[in-house]
Amino acid sequence: MRIWIAALCLTLCWLGTAAGAERANPRSMTFPPLQFSVPKAERIVLNNGTPVYLLQDRELPIVTIAALIRTGSVYDPAAKSGLAQLAGSLLRGGGTTPLQPRQLDEELEFMASSVESAFASDNGMVTMTSLTRNLPRTLTLFNDVLFRPRFDEQRFEIARRQALEAIRRQHDDPKEVGDRELTRALYAGHPLGQIPTAATLQAINRADLVTFHRRFVRPDNLILTVSGDFDRSQIIDQLNQTVGGVRASGPLSLPTIPAVPTNDKPAVLYAAKQINQSVIRLGHLGITKDDPDLYAVRVLDFILGGSFTSRLMMEIRTNRGLAYNVGSHFDVGRRFTGSFSAETETKAEATLKVIDLMTGIIKGIRTEPVSEQELELAKESIINSFLFGFTSPASTVLQQARLEFYGYQPDYLDRYRERIAAVSREDLLKAARKHLRPETFKLVVVGDAKSFDRPLSSIGTVQELALQ
Amino acid sequence: MAKHLLSLLLIALWLAAALPLQAAGLDEKVIEHSFSNGLKLLMVERHSSPTVSAWIRFKVGSVDERSDERGIAHLLEHMLFKGTTTLGTRDYAAEKPLLEKIEATAQRLLAEQTKGAKADAAELKRLEQQLAELEKQAQQFVVKDEFFDLYARNGGSGYNAFTSKDGTTYLISLPANKLELWASIESDRMRNPVLREFYSERSVVMEERRRSYDAEPGAKLWETFVAAAYNAHPYGQPIIGWMPDIEHLSRTKAEGFLKRFYAPNNAIIAVVGDIDPTAVIALVGRYFGDLPPGTPVPEVAVQEERQRGERRVEVIGDAEPEVVIGFHKTALGAKDDELFDVLAAILGQGRTSRLYRSLVLEKQLATDVSVFDAPGSRYPNLFVLHATPRAPHTAAEVEQALLAELERLKTEPVTQRELQQILNKLEYEEARRMGTNGGLARNLTEYEAVAGSWRYLTSYRAKIEQVTPHDLQRVARAYFTRENRIVGTLVKNGNGRTAQ
Repeated sequence: MRIWIAALCLTLCWLGTAAGAERANPRSMTFPPLQFSVPKAERIVLNNGTPVYLLQDRELPIVTIAALIRTGSVYDPAAKSGLAQLAGSLLRGGGTTPLQPRQLDEELEFMASSVESAFASDNGMVTMTSLTRNLPRTLTLFNDVLFRPRFDEQRFEIARRQALEAIRRQHDDPKEVGDRELTRALYAGHPLGQIPTAATLQAINRADLVTFHRRFVRPDNLILTVSGDFDRSQIIDQLNQTVGGVRASGPLSLPTIPAVPTNDKPAVLYAAKQINQSVIRLGHLGITKDDPDLYAVRVLDFILGGSFTSRLMMEIRTNRGLAYNVGSHFDVGRRFTGSFSAETETKAEATLKVIDLMTGIIKGIRTEPVSEQELELAKESIINSFLFGFTSPASTVLQQARLEFYGYQPDYLDRYRERIAAVSREDLLKAARKHLRPETFKLVVVGDAKSFDRPLSSIGTVQELALQ
Repeated sequence: MAKHLLSLLLIALWLAAALPLQAAGLDEKVIEHSFSNGLKLLMVERHSSPTVSAWIRFKVGSVDERSDERGIAHLLEHMLFKGTTTLGTRDYAAEKPLLEKIEATAQRLLAEQTKGAKADAAELKRLEQQLAELEKQAQQFVVKDEFFDLYARNGGSGYNAFTSKDGTTYLISLPANKLELWASIESDRMRNPVLREFYSERSVVMEERRRSYDAEPGAKLWETFVAAAYNAHPYGQPIIGWMPDIEHLSRTKAEGFLKRFYAPNNAIIAVVGDIDPTAVIALVGRYFGDLPPGTPVPEVAVQEERQRGERRVEVIGDAEPEVVIGFHKTALGAKDDELFDVLAAILGQGRTSRLYRSLVLEKQLATDVSVFDAPGSRYPNLFVLHATPRAPHTAAEVEQALLAELERLKTEPVTQRELQQILNKLEYEEARRMGTNGGLARNLTEYEAVAGSWRYLTSYRAKIEQVTPHDLQRVARAYFTRENRIVGTLVKNGNGRTAQ
């Protein structure tokens, strides 16, 4: 019946005969069906074996290309922490063999093209965008950035000095301090827990960048994505003349990174800062994408701390007005163990009260199944908003390439919604009991202890972090 | 509400800097419709994904607040997430008398608090307890954040709102088949809003203020700097309000502001995406068409007097130094205003810009430089330079280097290549901005509200093509003067304090 009304209403809309039409109640409103299947990119292989995902879309006269590189700061030697970050920035920033950095900057900016590079913890990205008419030249510059970087000595020194200045400023924002100290505590003893210091940055020289680049940025260690306004056969030719013409030298050998060590000892870490609002971060290690509970964890995330009506948000913000920002999140690891973390900021006088509320709410989701309404809302939201991951050709093609890059099941995206739909209240409870371990939380508080409502030591032995 | 209110705002502030984007083809693609109650609807059809973005922009922001209302536009934006007479409540008829009692108690409490040191401590305590008790009672009727749940259940994405000096915007993206849900919720939000849970939400806003300003020395510098730039014009007051302002806001004030300004003739809607415009006109007509028009938002009559001498402010904080320099300038769309956009691009856009080249690459005095206009654009605003000094260089050295580049603009004409580069960038941006529903909806509502027509976007590049090096020199000489300047610095407290 309702479906019939909706159909009728749609017809009225089409005819534009609005007068007298009923207004529907949003609580019971029904909608015409919408079928959405994940748009498919085409996978081809260049002459040298480099995989490329292509997705044409001629709406705009723009082409976007990205290279996903298997590299990252996990490969930083401990004594040279910050190497990947500098190499990633200097790849583009340091010019190319044919062009001085300044010439490269000028040529790209004059044609309103961009080439940018950055290395994160477990991947590196070099991206380019260009008006269609400037594609051939921009692609050449992109290829030079990838395979013929100059790592100009002077630009290297500037970048290092900028990184040193960022370290001088790393305690300015208390939220940043909280995030960093939690990561450091969770991943202690693993490269993911290494934070660059002035000493490790000083230890890096240009030759390290050259070696790092040679080791990782190779045609057999990356995947390309191309989206936008291109002609298929033309772009394949152009790619073969550039990236596809580069030969890898010698066999690829990536250093082995140890697994993240288990780290279940609780801790209370405190960093003193004279502020009227405390930054609270807590968490422990989490899961990887291959965990069978992945889908249950996604739904759990939404209910516990991932939405505007999550349990943490509802109690701490909406009901009690104790915070503006509050939430929790499973950062699902792709190559390494991920993490679970919860965060908020509250006035100093409410610090311990809010910590208690947070841990209490997290414990609560382990003791009883969530309600049917919570489960349905979370599942419907995740399933119905899935299509927003594919609103631009650039994001669609990147999503697909990432499946191969990180070794997901090829049907991961196609079956994502049905797997979310299959999650039950029992699955959630099981997942919550297994993957939330409040007794092992590492807690980081940044703030002014003399204004707290209770001493932090009432939670556990406090380790004070020196922010100097 | 908006968890990300401030970040959105900051992005708008810092990125919207110099160059509004215009759009080749936008002229043909925008469909306009005006309803008899004054509501304006702008649409663009894009079928690249089965999604739609819908933005509603009210032409009322913090600039329209009276001095005893500072912060109300933003707090009201939060409050309009709380529901209506039918949504967000289990039984409004039973809830209403309680809400009235709550407000009466809050008014008595506010009156007592206003006495300051002379207030009766026992009475304060009694009223506070009574307020807390009544608010607790009212909870039984509340369906928490029902707008959010309805949107979330239906796949809504990016549900949010933000308040600026010039306006207030409510935004959402939905699967294309769910647009009627938006029309239903948003028209109800305009027709029957109920500002329930007011005082707990006021506490949330206080936490927002602590988080975004009190504990962030850079943001503290920014609001102090903007306040110093204006003696009379309300652009000087912070959008969120000062803490003592927020403490004195009440539901009565919020309702007054709501009734004065939230009318269809003060609203602009943009719907962009996988739509049939004819159907959307009918849909919007059906849901919004019978809302009664209200009084148009009056122009802010106060004009800032010409500044007579440099103003300097410093903020001492637990953070490394920052420098911000501003010059009073024209409003968006005024004669010569686009010249400032060109100057901002020459100075601060990209690695080849003058300030980046000089301060970051050559002298290495700073790690970062940006140039933008702020704090709003409907009224005369500021041309702003911001820089992050690199130790051991001081804020004073950075300031001198920034000013030296401004002097250069007065004496040396800019090159044709610099101007051409800006036009090339504009051409690219025009194309790029056609590529997202949300971006288009933002531009259409923003320029329709601030410039009077979204066509500002389509005539923009032609205006920039007319700019000559001589024009730029003339404006630089007239505006970049010492007497028209405001300088703000962030100074590290304690032993790290550097004398400026």
